[in-house]
Amino acid sequence: MSTGAASMRRIITSNSLSMFGLLTVSLFLIVTVVQVASSGALLPYSAYQPSFGQANLSPSVSHPFGTDLLGRDMLSRVITALPIDVGIPLITVALSAAIGIVLGTLAAFFRGWLDEVLMRLTDLFMAFPTMIMAMAIAATLGPSLVNVTFSMIIVWWPPYVRLVRGGVLAIAAEDFVSISKALNSSFFYIVRKDAIPNVLPTILVYATFDVGSALLTLSTLGFLNVGIPPTAPELGMMVSNVTYNLFLYPYQIIIPAVVVAVIVAGFSFLGEGIRESLDVKLRPHILIRSKPAKEIETQ
Amino acid sequence: MIALRDFLPYLGKRVLGAIGVLIGAMLLVFFISYILNPNPAHLWAGARASKSTIAAVIARYHLDQPWYVQLYYFLQSYVTGNLGVDPQTGKSIISEMAFYFPNTLELVLVSMVMIAVLGVASGYFAGMHFGTKIDHSIRIFYLATWSSPYYLGGFLAILVFSSYIPLFPSGGMYSLTLGNQPAHITGLYILDALIQLNGPAFLSGLQHVFMPAAVLALLDFGLVARIMRSSILNARWSTHVKAARAKGMEEGEVRRNHILRNALIDTNTIIAVTFGFLLSGTIVIEEIFAWPGIGYFTYQAIVSINYPVLVPCVLLFTLGVIVANFIADVFYSLLDPRIALGEGGGSEG
Repeated sequence: MSTGAASMRRIITSNSLSMFGLLTVSLFLIVTVVQVASSGALLPYSAYQPSFGQANLSPSVSHPFGTDLLGRDMLSRVITALPIDVGIPLITVALSAAIGIVLGTLAAFFRGWLDEVLMRLTDLFMAFPTMIMAMAIAATLGPSLVNVTFSMIIVWWPPYVRLVRGGVLAIAAEDFVSISKALNSSFFYIVRKDAIPNVLPTILVYATFDVGSALLTLSTLGFLNVGIPPTAPELGMMVSNVTYNLFLYPYQIIIPAVVVAVIVAGFSFLGEGIRESLDVKLRPHILIRSKPAKEIETQ
Repeated sequence: MIALRDFLPYLGKRVLGAIGVLIGAMLLVFFISYILNPNPAHLWAGARASKSTIAAVIARYHLDQPWYVQLYYFLQSYVTGNLGVDPQTGKSIISEMAFYFPNTLELVLVSMVMIAVLGVASGYFAGMHFGTKIDHSIRIFYLATWSSPYYLGGFLAILVFSSYIPLFPSGGMYSLTLGNQPAHITGLYILDALIQLNGPAFLSGLQHVFMPAAVLALLDFGLVARIMRSSILNARWSTHVKAARAKGMEEGEVRRNHILRNALIDTNTIIAVTFGFLLSGTIVIEEIFAWPGIGYFTYQAIVSINYPVLVPCVLLFTLGVIVANFIADVFYSLLDPRIALGEGGGSEG
């Protein structure tokens, strides 16, 4: 395991994209964990208590993100929103990946009608436009954080089933799996020892990238006021509550939106960077990239 | 180019597949809404509706019937094309959708042209300058725009290009003060104005569509650029390119005919797939830019939980995705005949 961690560290630090992603993601994860653990006690200002004398202040040293129309510190409000905006996408992606691992492995191992049914079902779910379907389900179930997570997962799992199935099928064709089968290894033994460890890296890279997409969808649901309760702090909803201030106090809209973009970018850069470092075909060309371009051309 | 006799069976198979997915999607939408809604009459009539109102809703939508009878009515309405009346406006749902859809089509088509140009060009330059500063800046740019929520792009565009530098209108589809509006032929305002040679209306239409389409394109071109870049990387070090160089082919010709053309095979299909993303994006963009399209119409149906309108709208979006995937498949098989002939190329799953 230690060699795995060491090689992972080398993969991430060798690439400036994934380095940036790792730093951003860690920063937001740490702030989120601290915010949840301290239940907001460490915030410089209250995220809810209005103070009208301080209303609509532009960003300054004492209020780095400015204040909103009720005089509440925007930085504190943004941090208060992180448990939802980082937590729900992580839960959505983790549960979707779990569904994918279970269904994808079953489909790949048993083939036949089970595979056929699961794949056709995945095709159907993938034909739906993700955001619209999630919105429709969330609106029907009524606003609550559990409902919104549920409606996200309903549209989020299909790519994982395909990814796992493809990966397991590729592994199942390998000699060591046939030998393991011939030695009468049980289904669970093969899945645990051969299938899962071999598809996990692919899933992890895809999932890292995917947390960002999940946050984009979630904050768009918030922006459109669908599914997320009006009292829950959420960055997209924070934007939509003050759209009428766009021309007067643009920072009130731009700052929460940029925070969403930075979190999404963190996860995307991390995923993209790892994917590239793992790309065997590109590896030789990465190693020689310090040479002048002319020389690479003639390789 | 693939022979017609090989292509037609493949096309037929694809058409049947697309129809199958559409029927499956209809059934799935029916069952999802049936399961999620144990008590639809209360949901649609409102929490404070009287008993007689609820009874009227139940009778009107056959809600007291078993599920298979409801499914029959559901399928029948789509087969006959009679989707009924929008309970909120009293107008025919089909005619409302026919009014809103062309507006969205105009927005999405303009946006797709922008995506194709931006995505192919930036992916090509990034790939050909792999590992250099040009490559890094292009990638950071498209990853950053891809990471931005639509509302950030929309509001920034309005702030900068409608308020600080007033170049474009902040919303709407055309100038209402224009005396001579083009007649409704295709429903696509720009196209109608062009057909009728109405210069001022054409320019006004272009000016209005530019900003929402550009925001959609900027935030979604990353996918195309990313695939284009990796296809270029796949192509430029492959053996057939080495062979072309070895036989002394001119560098420009190698790039045009051996690198660019091969990379465009994958990219073409991705451009079609982006159509689905754009359709989802229209919900936010149409809301911000006051664009009277199907996204705006669907959003209104979603927030008021107006199922008689919501279900056909979801199915229309699904149809859009299915058609886009179908076009992508057909494109792919035309560009790479091995797919239709079933010789490798097509991967499992």
